[in-house]
Amino acid sequence: MARLMDMGMERLRVLLLEMGELSEKTVSTAIDAYQMGKSLQEVDRWSNKLRQLDEQVSELAIELIARFQPLASDLRYIKAGIEISYGFYRFGRYAHDITQVLDMFGDLSRCDHAVIDAAGQKTEEMIRMSIEAFSDRDVDVARKIAQMDDSVDNLYRDYIRKLLKSKSTDIKCALSSALVLRYLERIADHATYIGNSVVYIVTGEEPVP
Amino acid sequence: MEVVAGPEVSLTQEAEGKLEEPKSMAPVETPDKLQSLGLNAWFGKTHALKGINLSIRPNKVTAIIGPSGCGKSTFVRCLNRMHEITPGATASGQVYLDGEDIYGPRVDPVLIRRRVGMVFQKPNPFPTMSIYDNVAAGLKLTGLKKGKQLDTLVESSLRRASLWDEVKADLRKPGTSISGGQQQRLCIARAIAMEPEVILLDEPCSALDPIATSKVEELMVSLKGSYTVVVVTHNMQQAARVADYTAFFYLGEMIEYRPTTALFENPKEELTERYLTGKFG
Repeated sequence: MARLMDMGMERLRVLLLEMGELSEKTVSTAIDAYQMGKSLQEVDRWSNKLRQLDEQVSELAIELIARFQPLASDLRYIKAGIEISYGFYRFGRYAHDITQVLDMFGDLSRCDHAVIDAAGQKTEEMIRMSIEAFSDRDVDVARKIAQMDDSVDNLYRDYIRKLLKSKSTDIKCALSSALVLRYLERIADHATYIGNSVVYIVTGEEPVP
Repeated sequence: MEVVAGPEVSLTQEAEGKLEEPKSMAPVETPDKLQSLGLNAWFGKTHALKGINLSIRPNKVTAIIGPSGCGKSTFVRCLNRMHEITPGATASGQVYLDGEDIYGPRVDPVLIRRRVGMVFQKPNPFPTMSIYDNVAAGLKLTGLKKGKQLDTLVESSLRRASLWDEVKADLRKPGTSISGGQQQRLCIARAIAMEPEVILLDEPCSALDPIATSKVEELMVSLKGSYTVVVVTHNMQQAARVADYTAFFYLGEMIEYRPTTALFENPKEELTERYLTGKFG
């Protein structure tokens, strides 16, 4: 027999999957738009939608706690659900920030986008993995995300180090790329947190700080 | 009864590693207050408790949870030798109170029940006695006569049971004239008056409304400063609110026993998980 709280738990799962899908689309659209040099209204709209969905998840989570006083795996799922939702919302927020760079800096077509290509691909892959880990409760996939996080961190740090040493005076390219790399690096961090939350749901283990 | 192990050895701890302290508490090396080893209990031929090994920490609240018929009440009734009062009820194994087997051959069960007090599900003040006499009854039996000393002990017991302010003007009224929640705290005062070391509470809030329940819960937590508290409850949220440690019983066996937060957030046993999430049956 289904428990009374199962309906709410299912609603929570569906909301989170919807957020995952939308956040993936938002980030990839933002990266594509940045590479092509055109600003897209959708990113703004989707990013707002993700914020609203995050609020819905929080409200639903509080309602489930108030009504059912969940314990054990139910409690872990709800606690992790709040964190995962926040992660998806942050994906959208950083996608929005990436499009803002274009709005601020104007034409960037002369800049070398190779490093952003590389970081963008890795980050998008990490987002896909975080969604997969959550929807399949796959601890192995969840743990792999953290391993990938280092490579995005390194791309960002190496780029900054190179900039500091370089004699290049193209401030516009340097600054815009650094900002976008920083946002991608933050997205990768949040993908890692989502992976940690999936491990917590399934095993109860919290990441060692 | 056959002695199989010394009181200083805890099978529970040996089997599962040192019992973790709740995160907020610094680890302390004090001996267990109560410890059951291979404790079995029967009602006639019905095997109600099956080899329970469980150590109860001093000055903590320990909750026993589990579905009806799991043996949780039987377990606490074995901790002060009340189980054997039921006709046909028997027990085997050891229960150590401060290292002494309370089922040992020369032990007087009456003295054990004085050291390990009990409060029941239904408030049961002595119906013909006043509030004052309910608290004083045990003290009078032990030979402490009327007078200033008795007055002082009655007052301090009622104060410790958080009842004094509500009844101080009505001490001569019948114990049954106050509300159910007050009667339950009166029963706790009656238990406290005997200066016990351990207080067992068997479903103490089942018959109480939420306000009376929260008063008794606050009382349980404050009592652990002076006593070791063991509470049987079928209300998991109550265990979550008041207990430092929680044990889950099922079909006469102890399934899992850990610090309350750990048990409720991340149970190790599938049975505990299913019980806590309501996926039983």
